[in-house]
Amino acid sequence: MNESNKKHISIDPITRLEGHGKIDIFLNNDGEVENCYLMIPELRGFEQFCVGRPVEEMPRITTRLCGVCPEAHHIASAKACDAVYHIEPPSAGRKLRELLYNVFFSGDHALHFYALGGPDFVVGPEAPAAERNILGVIAKVGVEIGKKVIQHRAHHSAIMELLGGKKIHQVTSLPGGVSKGLTEEERKGVEARIVEMVEFGKFTIKVFDDIVLKNKAYVDLILSDTYAMKIHSMGLVDEKNRVNFYDGKVRVVDCNGKEFVKYSPKEYLDNIAEHVEPWSYLKFPFLKKIGWKGFIEGNEGSIYWATPLSRLNAADGMATPLAQAEYERMYKTLGGKPVHATLATHWARVIELLYASERALELVRDPEITSPNIRAIPKETPTEGVGIIEAPRGTLTHHYVTDERGILTKVNLIVGTTNNNAPIAMSVKKAAQGLIKKGTVVSDGILNKIEMAFRAYDPCFGCATHTLPGQMPLVVNIRNKDGEIIQELKR
Amino acid sequence: MSVRQNKILVLGLGNDILGDDAVGLHAARELQKVIQDNADVVEAVISGFEIMDVLEGYEKVLLLDAVVTNQHPTGTILELSKEQFKNVVAISPHYMGLPEVFLLAEEMKINFPKEIRILAMEIKPPYEVREGLSADVMNALPDLISKGKEVLSKWSC
Repeated sequence: MNESNKKHISIDPITRLEGHGKIDIFLNNDGEVENCYLMIPELRGFEQFCVGRPVEEMPRITTRLCGVCPEAHHIASAKACDAVYHIEPPSAGRKLRELLYNVFFSGDHALHFYALGGPDFVVGPEAPAAERNILGVIAKVGVEIGKKVIQHRAHHSAIMELLGGKKIHQVTSLPGGVSKGLTEEERKGVEARIVEMVEFGKFTIKVFDDIVLKNKAYVDLILSDTYAMKIHSMGLVDEKNRVNFYDGKVRVVDCNGKEFVKYSPKEYLDNIAEHVEPWSYLKFPFLKKIGWKGFIEGNEGSIYWATPLSRLNAADGMATPLAQAEYERMYKTLGGKPVHATLATHWARVIELLYASERALELVRDPEITSPNIRAIPKETPTEGVGIIEAPRGTLTHHYVTDERGILTKVNLIVGTTNNNAPIAMSVKKAAQGLIKKGTVVSDGILNKIEMAFRAYDPCFGCATHTLPGQMPLVVNIRNKDGEIIQELKR
Repeated sequence: MSVRQNKILVLGLGNDILGDDAVGLHAARELQKVIQDNADVVEAVISGFEIMDVLEGYEKVLLLDAVVTNQHPTGTILELSKEQFKNVVAISPHYMGLPEVFLLAEEMKINFPKEIRILAMEIKPPYEVREGLSADVMNALPDLISKGKEVLSKWSC
């Protein structure tokens, strides 16, 4: 923490967050929070970088977007390429992609819970910052938990390398399917690993139960108004409106859980638009049919979130038995659907971890998974296509337009975190207002509780900005209540 | 636990489409051309747990990377030990920074390198998506390679 003056509290850099971030909190003359902005001083310009390249390179290039979720970009890109070439992968190719993707999801969610979001609960939200990490978790819970996490990661990495061709930056998904199948011998090895991943999912649910749910103070914190956010919920669902990470339609429900819209990937531009604010380099997606109404909660607002919790809110259930049981238990415990408690996202995440592991087990036991019919060769002239999947951090959209040679003329990505820009900004402000009152001594613990408001989203700003050109200095604007800049800081 | 045929690793880190962020990859690529075959050379666009996977099983590691401290001119080569490293680099923007990786490996008693030498080149914040190195970094690259050779020659590579 540093203080440039008594009215300005800054948390910089945000710990345990991909990319560089900065939060500015502005206090009024009474010492209460007047306003709060989440600033993202990072530009990547990735979309313009891609224009002029062959579209079939995208599943390999987009993995470079981020060191955290290359698998999500690889698969979303391959699906967009399918659409560009007007081709459907054979069933086995599709299942191999979904298998890879669910294994990735299980590994990624585990990392967030044990290394990023979980330490706030396991070690405690007001523990020293140096202890709120995976080492602190091990110190609190024991070295065995660390061994389980590392073993889970080892299974994840081995399966990624086998199915994706590389541990990270996978290369096997192509327009029309995948380039590499699975032999029966390989399948048995993968199955043995995934059986353990399911057990790890069950273990993680128990850890969450023991450490979070059995602690009344934590449950009160989760359910407090400080961390409530009543907005629309988005998530990809299958034909039975159950959560699916790989395919389906995007469903949005309102604050009461009523379906607002359900659309296919190619209809995304009819349903989502992006708002620009002068104080942020990020865009703020909103529900186009409502129109931009500002940063407001409620059904009259057009803000939505796309997170593990929103996915569960937007669905009618989970497609696997253990995850479905946990889904029902969560909503029963928290008072029914939908849930608006931001911190319940952690619970939803561990339920999704279990689902991903179970779904991967179903797929690896599918007799078709070892079929050699894994790719259809594209034959039609490429034009335009949209691929949508659920990334761990939210709905991920890749939209490509090419000329008749397949050379990219337009690229638009809406990454998981971008969907959540507005709710993150609102959650951070609400947490700051709830936690900093007149006379409050702003401790590191309070600042961490404010950070917890956005950490629940598992944000990744490394791939969320997309404006050229290039490098940008860090700028901090101090504004009055009318939004006018009264001071500008640069470094 | 990984068993390595070679006990020495040259690890270049960086993102190959983020301009100067890739200088560690370039240096590793050049060193591969001149070193003995008793060392492995890996170019990796990774962070956090993945670094742990790569380092496990080696005895000695030369790590080549870019760094932004805003305290030195672009192209300055910083030689760091893992103990110094956590004092030089601010909180990592990645999930787990190298200091956390080292501590976790120690805590978990993972077979980790006993000796880790880190050569990091000061660059400007690499937020521009582009391929290739800037002139300043390109000019300083031979110095990074030379310092890398010095380390490896002491290890009989």
